[in-house]
Amino acid sequence: MKHSSSRVIFALRLLVLVLFLLPVLWMITASLHPQGVPLSQKLHLLPQRVTLENYVRVWQLVPIGRYTFNSLIVVGTAVPLTIVTSSWAGFSMAQLPHAAQRRLVLLSLIVLMVPGIALWSTRFLIFKYLGWHDSYLALIAPAWMGTSPFYVLMFYRAFRRVPTAIYDAARLDGAGVLQSWGSVALPIARPTAIGVGLLSFIFYWGDFISPLLYLSSERQYTLPIALQLLQQLGRSDWPLLMAAAVMATAVPVILFLLAQPAFHKS
Amino acid sequence: MQPTIHNLLRLPKLSYQKRLWLLLLPYLLGILLLVLIPAAISFSLAFFRYDALSPPVWVGTLNFILAYTDELFTLSVHNAVSLVILPVPLRVFGAFLLARLLLRNGRFLNWFRAAVYLPSIIPGAAYALAWLWILNPLFGPVNLLLKAVGLTAPNWFIDPLWARPSLILMSLWQIGEGFLVSLAALQDIPADLEDAAAMDGANSYQMLWHVTLPLLAPILLLLSFRDAVLTFQESFTSVLLTTGGGPYYTTYTLPLFIYEQGFDLLSFGTASAALWVMYLLTGLIVLFLYIIARQWQIGTTDETFVL
Repeated sequence: MKHSSSRVIFALRLLVLVLFLLPVLWMITASLHPQGVPLSQKLHLLPQRVTLENYVRVWQLVPIGRYTFNSLIVVGTAVPLTIVTSSWAGFSMAQLPHAAQRRLVLLSLIVLMVPGIALWSTRFLIFKYLGWHDSYLALIAPAWMGTSPFYVLMFYRAFRRVPTAIYDAARLDGAGVLQSWGSVALPIARPTAIGVGLLSFIFYWGDFISPLLYLSSERQYTLPIALQLLQQLGRSDWPLLMAAAVMATAVPVILFLLAQPAFHKS
Repeated sequence: MQPTIHNLLRLPKLSYQKRLWLLLLPYLLGILLLVLIPAAISFSLAFFRYDALSPPVWVGTLNFILAYTDELFTLSVHNAVSLVILPVPLRVFGAFLLARLLLRNGRFLNWFRAAVYLPSIIPGAAYALAWLWILNPLFGPVNLLLKAVGLTAPNWFIDPLWARPSLILMSLWQIGEGFLVSLAALQDIPADLEDAAAMDGANSYQMLWHVTLPLLAPILLLLSFRDAVLTFQESFTSVLLTTGGGPYYTTYTLPLFIYEQGFDLLSFGTASAALWVMYLLTGLIVLFLYIIARQWQIGTTDETFVL
């Protein structure tokens, strides 16, 4: 009896697995379809002839190297900055008096509920005033506040689980705030740090709205905008569009798979 | 770790507690400068005429009247609400059920969980293009599949009747955050609670409905609110790239209206008035969800704040 129910659960899980893998699988198979060969009107697992030429064509059509470089710069600065600022905030919150903790958690929740659209035009005006408009700075800006209160709360949750005796011991040893953050708390919260790093990577890598609103010169464009450009160039060249989509998706997916074991602990 | 940096940043006269506040400073300043002040300005601009070129002029409630008499505005409100009210409960409840299914031990458990999270990793623009392909009327795999089993295949994004369901459908695959939060919350429920219910003879359906769900209600409610706010906003990328608001404005939503008013027409006042409406609507939707959730009669406990 028990055995059969666990089999049903396993079958259900398999079904879920297939269902959630389908979008990515279909993206990949479409990207392998040769150019010029009409798309099939019958369902195949793979195109009759598999080719990688669409990936080459993406490079020929738009300066995808430049856009990838821009995306890497944004991610390369924003993600480390996010980990530092959000873990600082979480670390600090976890050790403040209880009344302050409650108020800060409440503030974080309120900020989480502010819709991004409410910030579009005023952030645009502020960035213009600061001269950050049309530069990486506008894209990286949220990293100064830990990107999202959600990440701060994740760190807060992790640091609160650390027994206070450990912080006290570090303090007795003469460690300052930064020292106990860097060499005591952060190593304990490693899974959370990896989780926040991954989530913020996904956010900055896929961010379509900030570059759309705050960038005006093509040199600064990031990958998501490149996808929009390609779509405008060839609306129905599906193999090409899917190749570009796969390229933009591959980096976060590879990172996600690498960070998998640590991610599940956080 | 790096003693030199620590020495540089050491501020000898401050107490430990004050230095803790110092670490909190970037976060608090960032919230103030990047969220609270911009949001406050955004909301107050609703009462001014402002085009970013000349100084704002007080116009009272004119922007609200302008927005209200704009046919596109009322249409965008209607569309936006219908794109939030159905998918949010579906997404949150779906994420919860998936978390429940993938909670306990089993073979390849981590891989199953990773698969559920995978679509949420895809960048929004790539995701929108992917669904434009998946739901392509002629060559898309979904329609080929439907035709293969002899069903009629809709024209999805191109059909005024099906465009909105298409957007809802594609949003159901990106539920990674809700899934992870539900999973974490479920793991926090002590196992002996369910054991006790099982001893009392509760079956798994009763357990889900009377034990697990009420315990998770506050968190699911919080998730719903966040999801409503996010869906309002994230629908922007997918709508812009899949339908552009069409066909016949059936997917023309509030964010699109706000974007066009602000960034195309430079009429920030009207955009802000629309923003007010959007936020009030989000509040109303969540209130509606709250009233439903109240039937479980669960108050907000301290545990919610930990999350």
